[in-house]
Amino acid sequence: MIATAALVLVALVLGAALTLLVERLSTPHHVEPGPAQAADVRHSLVIANSDRWLLPAGPVVALTGVALALVVLPFGPGLIGRDLGIGVFYVIVVIDFVVLGLALAGWGANTAHAVEACYRIIAQLVAYVVPLGLAYVGVIMMARSLSTVAIVEAQSGLWFVVLQPIGFVLYLVTGLMQSYRAPFLEPFAASIGGGVLDVSAGWSALLWRIALAGVLFLVAAIGALLYLGGATGPLLPGWAWMIIKTYALMALMLWLGRLVRPFSTAQMLALSWKLLIPLGLLNVLLVGGLILLGVGP
Amino acid sequence: MTAGLEIIAFAICAFIAITGALGMTTTMSMFRSGIFLMASFVGVAGLFILLAADLIGVLQIMMYIGGMLVMILFMVLVMHDPGGAMMAGMDMSFVERWFSKGLVPREPAQSGHAKHMHGDHQRGYNDHHHGNAVQPDEPNDRKAAAMRSGHGAHPMEHTDDDEQEGQVMHHSGDKHDDMDMGGMDMSMDTPVRPIAVWLAAAVSVVLVSMLLLRPAWRIIDAAPDPDSARSIGHLLMEKYMVAFEGAGFLILIGIFGAVLLARPSTHPDDPSRSAKVAIDERPEPIADDGLTPLAGARGSTEHHMHRHHRPEEHGA
Amino acid sequence: MTSSGPSPILNDYGFVALVLVMALGLALLVAAAFLRAPGLLMRTPSIWGQFRFGYAVYALIFLAFDMEMIFMYPWAVVFADIGISAFLDMLVFIVLLGAGIAYAWGMGGLEWE
Repeated sequence: MIATAALVLVALVLGAALTLLVERLSTPHHVEPGPAQAADVRHSLVIANSDRWLLPAGPVVALTGVALALVVLPFGPGLIGRDLGIGVFYVIVVIDFVVLGLALAGWGANTAHAVEACYRIIAQLVAYVVPLGLAYVGVIMMARSLSTVAIVEAQSGLWFVVLQPIGFVLYLVTGLMQSYRAPFLEPFAASIGGGVLDVSAGWSALLWRIALAGVLFLVAAIGALLYLGGATGPLLPGWAWMIIKTYALMALMLWLGRLVRPFSTAQMLALSWKLLIPLGLLNVLLVGGLILLGVGP
Repeated sequence: MTAGLEIIAFAICAFIAITGALGMTTTMSMFRSGIFLMASFVGVAGLFILLAADLIGVLQIMMYIGGMLVMILFMVLVMHDPGGAMMAGMDMSFVERWFSKGLVPREPAQSGHAKHMHGDHQRGYNDHHHGNAVQPDEPNDRKAAAMRSGHGAHPMEHTDDDEQEGQVMHHSGDKHDDMDMGGMDMSMDTPVRPIAVWLAAAVSVVLVSMLLLRPAWRIIDAAPDPDSARSIGHLLMEKYMVAFEGAGFLILIGIFGAVLLARPSTHPDDPSRSAKVAIDERPEPIADDGLTPLAGARGSTEHHMHRHHRPEEHGA
Repeated sequence: MTSSGPSPILNDYGFVALVLVMALGLALLVAAAFLRAPGLLMRTPSIWGQFRFGYAVYALIFLAFDMEMIFMYPWAVVFADIGISAFLDMLVFIVLLGAGIAYAWGMGGLEWE
């Protein structure tokens, strides 16, 4: 059991490292890569008026969230930390710990930029949670279970991306919101000095790098699991397919995100509540109709 | 998982739940208070999981992360001292100081800031830190009493004269343009607090003894259903359908109320608040992203209104 | 149905707790590895009470919809087994919440202040 747990953490670090690499490779020359790259690892920083408990707790909570979420991801037929009965629901809850960690660090730092970043981060949470949940609900309806392994098995006939295209699009957009990548970069914007990353240095900067890269990795891996069939495929072993699908989806999300001008926080909230949530509710009804008609697994 | 591990896990979860609640009530920072409440509910979620109700346990966590963050947002909007910087320098008991550790008190401007004088009534419970010298200044008792009664944290039963001897002024720094206390004292050490503590202890003893001295605890051998999501779903759809729809209706009424109460906006008019706004000016474009630049300079075409602009973006 | 030991769910969550503890340990290791003398000191005034934000109504409606999502997850699991009645029930639920969004939108609540 301890070995499996250690493997989960190793997988997290490897996945995050590979994510940083993929992000750097997939950005054209003059474009800045995502927020995870910009952390300053070399110096350490002491902030005079900071909240001495909350500020260090931020990156720790974020890293914990990402590590816990990786427990239920199946990278192959037997390669899963634990198949929790409520797998997918557990994942969506535990990734919220990253938001909590960012908010803690943003508030705790007690600088103008960081506290404003805290507000923007919570705004992003308000924007992404409900549409993301609606995208998940469509998949759960077809798979008839919350377990990640059951979701992979339910796609053995046909991937859900074919059956639920609206849900897939919804997942792409809210996944970008969840991982703070373009075009939803406001909490890490240059105008507030990089937000939380500006007030972190040394060990916390390294942990932020791992956590933020880990979130993107997780979002892509869960997308591959929910919509692209997970760790299954011909010829290659399961884990190879999972890695290919994860990073392909990640590259797709990053590329699509850069096609659009960055959203301001107000635009993001309006987009989420006026467009994505009605779309999500419609998706749920459509999937329900499909299931009643007998389409799907 | 052996029974011993289960007991240890139960003890840890219960400890987190109780300490979280204690921290929530005694810490000086509003933000930390919300976070402690969140931690307390994480402990409760752990207790749910120990009872094999995993969906409900994780559901607790989900509700409370979202809920507490929003609640903290509103608290921070309304309260004067959400971060605890102002209160951190005040008189506190041992428990409060422990849970407020790490908060840096706001530095006073002038060198001769007033130290605190303690009330004459030192009951056994309060062992707070003692200031060094005692420098009584002229207390502005009317304003102080008004502020304290508005504070609402402790019930005030004494008249102004009684409190004069116990409280002093705390001159806050007027060099900064941040909050000025206006010469009010916010000491948490009030004479009525030991009474409150003994009352709370008595009530908790009564409750715990009622719990322990129950006639019989039924023990059944049935194991809980490991697939809790499915059983909860079936229950919702079959037995508790009316409650399900009723909850939806209740949520709808909540939305109505929220929208009704929030328009027109009722931000406090504190001048210190109007200084900064969590604003979302047009976000900076990613350099060289190949998109056509927007026509016009920094005009905004979205549906938000700039009420106040930030003085400057970088620096100071 | 009788059982003599604790539920198998506890083993799963024991593993989760183990991963949690190990992640905390990893974070501590990283923190310890960077234990040099602190380099830079940032002196900024305390700024906690000075912000306000413009998404109050969004946040309130988000709370309501968070509660809605709670109901949707167990419903989604059993939907395919129950069939049309579950669909109709959720239709009513979604209509109620859609009415909420429509009301908020129409009353101008979904705006940044």
